[in-house]
Amino acid sequence: MVKQRVMFESGNELAAYAAKQINYHVMGYYPITPSTQIAEQLDVYKAEGGHDTTLMPAEGEHSAAGICYGAAAGGGRVFNATSANGLLYALEQLPVQSGTRFPMVLNVACRTVSGPLDIKGDHSDIMYTLNTGWIILFANDPQAVYDFNICALKIAERAMLPAIVAFDGFFTSHQKRKCEVIEDDAEVKRFLGDYKPEFTALDVENPVTIGSYMNEPDLINNKYRLHLAMEKSRGIIDEVFAEYAAFTGRSYSQTAGYMTEDAEVVLFLLGSSYHTAKTAVDKLRGEGAKVGVFTANILRPFPADMLYTHCKNAKTIIIGDRQDSYGAGGGNMTLEIKAMLQEKACTARVLSRIYGLGGLDFYVEDAISLLREGFGGDAPDFDYIGKYPGNPESELITYFNPVTQEEATPKLTETSFDEEANKLIVKGVRVNESTRMPMRIAPGHGACPGCGIPVNVNLLLKGIEGNVVLLFQTGCGMVVTTGYPKTAFRVPYIHNLFQNGAATLSGLVEVYSRLVSRGEMPDRDITFVMVSGDGGMDIGMGSALGTAIRNNGLIIFEYDNGGYMNTGYQLSYSTPKGAKSSTSHVGKHQAGKDFFHKDMPMIMAGTHLPYLATVAESNPSDFLRKAVKAKYYAQNRGTVYMRALSACPLNWGDKPERERQVIEAGVDCCYFPLFEIENGITTITYNPEEKNKKIPVTDWLKMMGRTKHLADERYSELVKNIQDETDRRWTRLKALHDSPVL
Amino acid sequence: MADSVKLPTVNEYGYYEMRLESIGGLGANLCGKMLGELGALYLGLNAASFSSYGSEKRGSPVKSYIRWCAPETELRVNSPVDKPHILGLFHENMAGKTPVTAGVGKDTKIVINTAGTPEETIKLFDIRAGTLYCVDALKSAMETKSRINMVMLGAIAKATGFVELSSVYTLCRETIGKKYPELIERNLAGVRLGFESATPYEIKTDKPEHDADTGTPENRWGYQNAPIGGINPHIGSTVSNDLSASREGYIPLFIPEKCIHCGLCHTTCPDMVFRFTEGEYKGRRAMKNRGLDYHHCKGCLRCVNICPTEALVAGLEREHIKKQHFIRNKDLIASRIDYEDTGANSWITGESYMDEKRPDGGVV
Repeated sequence: MVKQRVMFESGNELAAYAAKQINYHVMGYYPITPSTQIAEQLDVYKAEGGHDTTLMPAEGEHSAAGICYGAAAGGGRVFNATSANGLLYALEQLPVQSGTRFPMVLNVACRTVSGPLDIKGDHSDIMYTLNTGWIILFANDPQAVYDFNICALKIAERAMLPAIVAFDGFFTSHQKRKCEVIEDDAEVKRFLGDYKPEFTALDVENPVTIGSYMNEPDLINNKYRLHLAMEKSRGIIDEVFAEYAAFTGRSYSQTAGYMTEDAEVVLFLLGSSYHTAKTAVDKLRGEGAKVGVFTANILRPFPADMLYTHCKNAKTIIIGDRQDSYGAGGGNMTLEIKAMLQEKACTARVLSRIYGLGGLDFYVEDAISLLREGFGGDAPDFDYIGKYPGNPESELITYFNPVTQEEATPKLTETSFDEEANKLIVKGVRVNESTRMPMRIAPGHGACPGCGIPVNVNLLLKGIEGNVVLLFQTGCGMVVTTGYPKTAFRVPYIHNLFQNGAATLSGLVEVYSRLVSRGEMPDRDITFVMVSGDGGMDIGMGSALGTAIRNNGLIIFEYDNGGYMNTGYQLSYSTPKGAKSSTSHVGKHQAGKDFFHKDMPMIMAGTHLPYLATVAESNPSDFLRKAVKAKYYAQNRGTVYMRALSACPLNWGDKPERERQVIEAGVDCCYFPLFEIENGITTITYNPEEKNKKIPVTDWLKMMGRTKHLADERYSELVKNIQDETDRRWTRLKALHDSPVL
Repeated sequence: MADSVKLPTVNEYGYYEMRLESIGGLGANLCGKMLGELGALYLGLNAASFSSYGSEKRGSPVKSYIRWCAPETELRVNSPVDKPHILGLFHENMAGKTPVTAGVGKDTKIVINTAGTPEETIKLFDIRAGTLYCVDALKSAMETKSRINMVMLGAIAKATGFVELSSVYTLCRETIGKKYPELIERNLAGVRLGFESATPYEIKTDKPEHDADTGTPENRWGYQNAPIGGINPHIGSTVSNDLSASREGYIPLFIPEKCIHCGLCHTTCPDMVFRFTEGEYKGRRAMKNRGLDYHHCKGCLRCVNICPTEALVAGLEREHIKKQHFIRNKDLIASRIDYEDTGANSWITGESYMDEKRPDGGVV
């Protein structure tokens, strides 16, 4: 048997450890809780020189899946990890991968699917993959996550099918356990052997067409072949499990059961709850009750025959589903097990229970009461456990009145349109007077002390008189304001997932316009504002560009803190080059993020929208003036894009009270220049050179923990590179400013 | 690996369980992870650990759970620790808020970071059972230039009664020592001080033991009476969140005589603390700064930093219990607000948070 060593790691860390040992060619990924740690940990190993896999942060899961498909088509070994809506966003790509028969391994740290948004674990995401033609292994503890990651690749390559390794988000992905790993990475590679696919897109001597257009006489054959491959994989799974048992001493079967042989009542559970229920079984057996519990380690192909062996003697079978197939009378495991029982002509009573949704804990006591229900004659066939009706008696205190249009219209500024200059003239902007504006967001939100998001959103809203309707894309700003049953908003607010905020708000804008034009509602002087982080402007870039090209009348406001802060600071396209993040570590073999920050204003400028501006809290009058303009343009001309450099004390690694100085330095070094493009005319609104305040970019970078390593001599080349790019962009901006033609 | 340590006591499922209650930034996650690792790799036990945090990422409640069992025993339970054998309390500020003492019984060993006496601590937390170990972890950490979590780690090891100091040393050398070799000696000194200063104090009261805090709290709105779709009409309701745990000792103090009512504090405050109303300044009608609603303040001190006239200065909160220039938020129409602690109910999402890096650059 192969030499192994003991570690104390979580499911995610073990998935990453296996991937490091396998040394995949490419990992395409997009961070999403709770699977993110896998890419993070692989990046740690990479910075240390533990592997040389190309880790590719896509701008969204759909692209991540695309990266994986391309890499797999090239004959590489390919890896990915995702969860919940990330999986659903990528879903379209899954049948492409399986239908054209390119193996790869995708880890799914299972989490509940939005909405409402909840980051914790259940099985509502993984069940969407049942029809995709992927082999699905389900690991119910961290050790199995490691073992299945190695087995899955071997199974996938032998079956020529892609494979998913699924496991419980948090309960398994984040729980650290004592586990064993193969000591020598070379042994893992030896176990897997070489992968030599028959067809690849890189074989120029034997060119092939991948992804045919296929009509009805042929498609059915392709799908039948997929069915046959899936059926054949049953044997392959058994073979590989047997080889792995001989290799490591840890043996797995497609199903597992505990005390099911003579059980009158058996419980089916998937994932970590299976183990919890074993404890319940021991306790009830101690009281003389004949109970057992069983589970599946494989969901596709569905191990129907093997599952039947665990329940063939039972009088009552209880199936716990950590998700529901609404309207079908049970979750997917209920449906599949019922189908299997019908096939076996089994007449046992079947009870179906939905449990543990959205990460609701599953205690031993829950398993005990589930099993006890199996002995009662009056238990309902189907129910949810853990739900409650609510307590209407408890007092609901009204804290605020809604912000009225009158209150929110103190007429602080005067605007007039200068037709000749083609510009809006704003007079009367005073920071002191802006305190008259009612706050549309209430205190008590959960942002970290010193967070820049509420600072920037408040500054923007102080400049927008009248009514506002807000849409926040997923991100810190949304999570910290709307934790149920509370909300910080005093004005209408919508959340949508961050691929789609701009499109959603443009739909709202247009229905408002239709309702008003048809006389179905009065004109309420509404300005529509979408608020997004820079992460949302990565994954939601297409939606934002589409909105700006259609020129729908709304403001897209981006708070750019240069990272995916809500999920623990993974790099975004706006993260400064060289910065360390949890997916761009600094080590002997890697110097932080390896590409330049995204110039989103210039990307948006390409849509020729009527107004765009960059703002910073360090220049509050400039900020307020631009907010006033934004309102005018959104209500009268079309799409407005604004971007604020926004502080994140937690992940920038600086002191909360100093953030305004850090922002100021970001502006003064011309990394984040303040300008506007109004009807095609670019104007720099604050020029640090003219004020004699321009500083080298390192003076800003060294103020933050995430970039202060760059001040070290050994990064001088990299810093020069960053300075050159900053200067190049600044010089170009000055040229735009100087020439109205540009 | 060392021979397996024998656990002196376990619960009905065979587990020796620990719960650490803390505020983000004190290193409880790392401490929990190290305790798990201690069991798994240095005591020859089977072990598990995981952490959860509250609604805020910094200065928010954090819970860390550790389970140890005999090497041949399977770890099957994945739910939080309700009846701990060891309860580690990392901060006195948590007293009386979330039920940090839930599930404490006569066999529980409670390790508290406090400068107070056992008698004071028992009163402060209303502890009704168990054995108390008061450790001034802050002082010890400062003395040794270590961190609170290292002192607590040493104290917890002592409180178990079966963990040798040498095993903790080995653990620290293998983990922190490899990552931050320059910091190892001071951290070992912190661990030792914790181990040595932890002395038992048996709690004798005739009050009942603490109930275990099992299950999920129920809100007012359930499936029968909540507005459909998770829609929330309760506008501005975050205002009742108690933010005091976010503050790290300091609050802004207002000196009205120096104020020029420029409004910059209002632009930099992320938490809508400042109360401006119309008045007269230098003979002209102007919006004037009247004071602060401290209920909203998280103590970030952005306002102190930005104030051009030093009309806002930082002060120690404990020296200003009765806050001067406390002005209630005029927008509030509720006559009374019961401030609620948000508690720890999310999971730590990543290793980056586990490091609990602090703005002052502290590690370990």
